Amino acid sequence: MLRFLLIFDSSNKINQKMKVSRKQLTLIIITTLLAVILPYSLLAQTTVSGVVTQKNGTPILGANVYLDGTYDGASTDENGQFNFTTEETGVQTLVVSFVSFEPFYMAADVSQMENVAVILKEDVNSLDTVVISAGTFEAGDNSKVSVLKPLDVVTTASALGDFVGALQTLPGTTTVAEDGRLFVRGGDAGETQIFIDGIRVFTPYTPTTNNIPTRGRYSPFLFDGITFSTGGYSAEFGQALSSVLLLNTIDEPDQDKTDIGIMSVGATLGNTQKWEKSSVSFNGAYINLAPYIAAIPDRNDWEKPFEAFAGESVFRRKFEKGIFKFYAAFDATNFELTQEDINLEDGLRFKLNNKNLYTNASYSGDLGESWKVLAGGSFTHANNDLGIMDSEINDTENSAHFKLKFRKRFSNRFKLNFGAEQFLTDFTEDFQNPFVEAGYGFNNGISAAFAEADLIFSRKFAMKLGVRGEYSDLFGQFTVSPRASVAYKTGKSSQLSVAYGDFYQQPLNEILKFEQDLEAQMTRHYILNYQYSANNRIFRAEFYRKEYDQLVTFDTEFAGFESNYANNGDGYAQGVDIFWRDNNSIKSVDYWVSYSYLDSERKYRNFPIEATPSFANSHNLSVVGKYFVSDWKSQFGISYQYGSGRTYTDPNEPGFLQKQTRDFNSISFNWAYLISQQKILYFSVNNLLGFKNINGYQYADTPNVNGIFDRRALRPAADQFFFVGFFWTISEDGTDNQLDNL
Amino acid sequence: MKQLIIIALVVCSFSASAQTKYEKGMTKAFDLWKSEKQWEAANLFERIAQAEPDEWLPPFYVAQINILYSFNEKDEEKITAQLKKAQDFLNDAKAISKENAEILVAQAQLYTAWVVFDGAKYGMNYSPKIAQTYQEAYNIEPENPRVAFGKVEWDLGTARWFGQDTSKFCEDLAAAVALFETYEPKGQFYPQGGGDYAKQSLEQNCAEKE
Repeated sequence: MLRFLLIFDSSNKINQKMKVSRKQLTLIIITTLLAVILPYSLLAQTTVSGVVTQKNGTPILGANVYLDGTYDGASTDENGQFNFTTEETGVQTLVVSFVSFEPFYMAADVSQMENVAVILKEDVNSLDTVVISAGTFEAGDNSKVSVLKPLDVVTTASALGDFVGALQTLPGTTTVAEDGRLFVRGGDAGETQIFIDGIRVFTPYTPTTNNIPTRGRYSPFLFDGITFSTGGYSAEFGQALSSVLLLNTIDEPDQDKTDIGIMSVGATLGNTQKWEKSSVSFNGAYINLAPYIAAIPDRNDWEKPFEAFAGESVFRRKFEKGIFKFYAAFDATNFELTQEDINLEDGLRFKLNNKNLYTNASYSGDLGESWKVLAGGSFTHANNDLGIMDSEINDTENSAHFKLKFRKRFSNRFKLNFGAEQFLTDFTEDFQNPFVEAGYGFNNGISAAFAEADLIFSRKFAMKLGVRGEYSDLFGQFTVSPRASVAYKTGKSSQLSVAYGDFYQQPLNEILKFEQDLEAQMTRHYILNYQYSANNRIFRAEFYRKEYDQLVTFDTEFAGFESNYANNGDGYAQGVDIFWRDNNSIKSVDYWVSYSYLDSERKYRNFPIEATPSFANSHNLSVVGKYFVSDWKSQFGISYQYGSGRTYTDPNEPGFLQKQTRDFNSISFNWAYLISQQKILYFSVNNLLGFKNINGYQYADTPNVNGIFDRRALRPAADQFFFVGFFWTISEDGTDNQLDNL
Repeated sequence: MKQLIIIALVVCSFSASAQTKYEKGMTKAFDLWKSEKQWEAANLFERIAQAEPDEWLPPFYVAQINILYSFNEKDEEKITAQLKKAQDFLNDAKAISKENAEILVAQAQLYTAWVVFDGAKYGMNYSPKIAQTYQEAYNIEPENPRVAFGKVEWDLGTARWFGQDTSKFCEDLAAAVALFETYEPKGQFYPQGGGDYAKQSLEQNCAEKE
């Protein structure tokens, strides 16, 4: 019988795929005849039946039940029951499958398959599974814990297209308007590390000077996933005391296209070429603030306004089982200005020339049997040529990072990640003024290994356990950091997570270049997170406590050769972060509100006592709203930033960091107008109402005739900033519509 | 031998319905679909797909059903599960039949389902992908009515959203509708639907011109 069926099967295919000869036709007819007649005469039928339920006994309607590799099967009815007949005999595999449950397999003799009771296990990969969310914000498409969408980076009013700017509207960050970098939960900006495709970025920000905010170097359009962790992050990441920001480049661009941007501050040009397996994107930008400053002068006296050339390129190639990406970015920045200074009658002259090259190559692929590999490396070359008054400083950093990571999925419920990485930094600096000439620097190597297990006990309960070991060549120090997080689903849309972790980070280059006989600084994070998300609304509340230890201290006004350094500092930060986003309640309106309360004190650097640093203010609030008007093809965005006063030291009174500035307020507005499918006009203004914000005070070195130290308020270079841009995308399939409109 | 042929001919004439297992299965699945038991049909297509690893049509129809019934789905969990399943089966179909315009049309429809579900969230990402996928399908088989109609309908929808003149698409739309009349499916069980909906779309969008 089996043989007949085999003949039948193969001839059947011939029938469909080619014209058949007469001989074959005969054969087909015979076999067809046999096949038609045989079942009724010779083949015995066996009934397969049973019931499919969930664990709690609820019957499952519409599950697919069948014998593997055959046509024989049925769908379950509303009672979860199924019933079908088969001509198969002997041992067969019964398969039961249903969306969001794990498929069920049972191998048995067909004759035994009557009244089978099948209990389907929930698929822990499905959407409503608990997600470990303590400390983490994700911006992505299909992730359940996403709080930002990729588009938000460019449509948030205060962000000006800078992804760091968009992240500053999330809770856990503090408003340090004159700096522009990320300050997370009482940590300073150096405590946050940025990674592209899992590989470290050593110099993520464009350098700038006092009171001029910096921007992230990288174009937001090259990334499709952003994960911002404000604490308790995975053992895969180290050398960050407070926070990590993970950026993933796009795997595959959609189409060939050219992007042109013309802005009030410069121009950008991008091009993407796509082939079957590979693609290349280029982005170039030229920024020059000269025309803007000529039109709207600010408080600085610019000799050479800010000018930057930047180019980025991503190459991607897909292989059968993996993808290779190569990312390279180069930028050159220069400016020269004189800033007001209370101790210098003619002001402080500052000149900067910066060149930065970053390359990053990574391969991620499938090794089969549920093994995955990620191998990658990055190289950074950064050169700064600074002129401060009559001092010339030239520093060069060459840094590299290599990483190899494996992931093994043993089952849906147990996954293991482990890997090793190496960081190398070579830093040199030359200092020269009329009195001194010096050259110095350091070589730094850090080796690390990590392992982390994901344990998913059920859709309701998951755990992540990890450990990271690091060895520093420079210090001869070995550190071990345990990490753990647990998440529990408290209801259909809500969950509770807790996280704990130890984090080590070496002192920054600005210290290491003078002193290498130190140890790593450390923090310990405790996090409790509650999240509710349903119907396009997300509510998160996160309580945390962070303990600092081994912070670097020194005993002079500025860090220098003559300073005595030690790891004697410590401190804490604690507070609560609240986030609410809703794009459901009001039609065409999407808004979010972030509030952070922070209580932090530390003794570090040259602090004489434990005090609240000026970047750690107590209350921060962001409200971001977006309103889409279809008829006007416009999106209007508004954002309000509030930060309570920041500490400063008033030398006229006893104490250290004992005073507070007044509160910070800013309302920003933007308008994006879609002229057509491919043309966008963008307008934005920061600090629309022109609040007179004060970032701090500078005091005179010596008292005046009345014995009082005079002071000068540190105001932003300009209270307001205007931006106009026109963005045009040219692509193959959109050109038609576009040209017809011109 | 002669006798055998005669017998064979008799058999042939007596049952034009002497179908292969595959044909029977597919026919039954379409019958279920027509009688609005689409999920049972999808299950049957899925069973045929696993029994016939060289046929692209069964996984294609599993995907097609999951996509079509996602268009009115409001529950995010459900639509995510359905479209994920559809994508898995489309991937299977693509692996069996490369350069297949019908599969690309289904892929474009899958992306469209996401955009319809939440335009603000998925529009920016998927809109260029949809246009690109239709373009690819068009390059392979410009005379396929589902390709021609899908492409022009998407372009028209986009133009309408931007408040542009849509009348210039009417000619293409009419041409696509005409293709439904003349296009011969390339094989048994190949997709052939969509004509009625296309006519409807033509009437709605180009009424004043008619």
